[in-house]
Amino acid sequence: MESHPSYALLSELTTKYPRTAGSLLQTYNDLKLAQQWEDLEVFEVPSCSRGAFKGQRPNTTAVLYVIPCSLSESLSLSWFRDAFEDMGKPPHIYLAINAEDSNIVYYKLSPGIVKPPV
Amino acid sequence: MADGRAKRIELRVSNHKAYVWDLEDLALLRAQHHICGVLAGTLPHLSQQNIFLGLPLVLMPEEVVFLVQKEIAVLVDDPLAHQPPSTAQLEAWNRDRKAGVKAQIAASEAKEAVGIKAAKSTSEDAIRKRKEREQKRAAAARAKALAEGSQDLFAPPVETLVATDALASTDQPAIPSASLNSSNVAWMVTVPASSSAELEWYSSEGVTYATIEDAQAAGVWLYPSTSFERAKCAVFRDLWEKGHYMGGGIRFGADFLVYPGDPLRYHSHFAASVIESPIASLKPMEIVAHGRLGTATKKAHLLCGWDQAKQEVSYYSIEWAGFG
Repeated sequence: MESHPSYALLSELTTKYPRTAGSLLQTYNDLKLAQQWEDLEVFEVPSCSRGAFKGQRPNTTAVLYVIPCSLSESLSLSWFRDAFEDMGKPPHIYLAINAEDSNIVYYKLSPGIVKPPV
Repeated sequence: MADGRAKRIELRVSNHKAYVWDLEDLALLRAQHHICGVLAGTLPHLSQQNIFLGLPLVLMPEEVVFLVQKEIAVLVDDPLAHQPPSTAQLEAWNRDRKAGVKAQIAASEAKEAVGIKAAKSTSEDAIRKRKEREQKRAAAARAKALAEGSQDLFAPPVETLVATDALASTDQPAIPSASLNSSNVAWMVTVPASSSAELEWYSSEGVTYATIEDAQAAGVWLYPSTSFERAKCAVFRDLWEKGHYMGGGIRFGADFLVYPGDPLRYHSHFAASVIESPIASLKPMEIVAHGRLGTATKKAHLLCGWDQAKQEVSYYSIEWAGFG
């Protein structure tokens, strides 16, 4: 992991939160290189013991927030509540669910009863 | 004793399930109280299908708990409400039943008589035509025999004519007497849908429960009995207060389907799952499963968390991100 080009940017958080280091690095690489997000920044979410990202999808201006987790973790609704609080109460957060084979699926979480787009 | 209970809808409980057997109550529940339920009865005239069903209406346990707690309905122990009839009531019922059977047999026999008469007139025409044909044939055969000089004359079918005549003039078979023991006429027994409206000996007096606790104490009702069931009741109530209509969620892998209005007019926007408490474990795989299914069916999945301590529901909507 240490030899990966992305490691340097994330080393502070991977050292502080080793349990989520894997999903943090995977998600960063996916967003940066595969999804080609722009203005990608990493920041700390202390209540969830991990780092998270914010950035923009290519050719858009909306700032989106992504929090990584592993498929093998156990979350809860209070975890969501804490994540929304710590991340500055954005309208929605994307949960990046990392599998062991490096597959990532993103799900959009919105607080409240939000109708799906038509 | 002027209490609101007199106007409360009677939910008839049998084997821990609540049924609505009265059509007016069904309409009231739907139109005024936004409770839809599910029709579960077969239609007597269309029994070999299950696309269109009829009374009774079955309610979800959350709907029942909601209605009783809101004092809109009461629970009736239906088996016990069917009291034993008095001798006079039983005799009257038996008299009515026998009169009904007699009427049915008489009606079906009258119908049969009309049928026989119609059939007879056709056979009269047929007999006459047959007569004419045979006479023509006989005449032709005799002419042919004479022409050929044959000694064996074809005997005119006078005997056949006499036979068919005889058949035509026999009396109709005697109409069987309208006795209840006649085995060749079928009649039907009617079972009333609404016992309360049609059976004199039905009474909900003394077997009605105005609270869930009372019904549970009497062993008539069980729900809710776990904290998860209590959470489902709380979420149902909260969604109802927000103006939604709810249906069963099993078709979409959820606890409820949530409609913005009457399900006859709208598709549901949400499939809702109830989370028992804010700290209940939630696996990412559940989010994947719920989210994907919701998105594939043009709905969003709603995670509804019940906080027993704060007595409030928190909602999160899940959707597939559309990228990744």
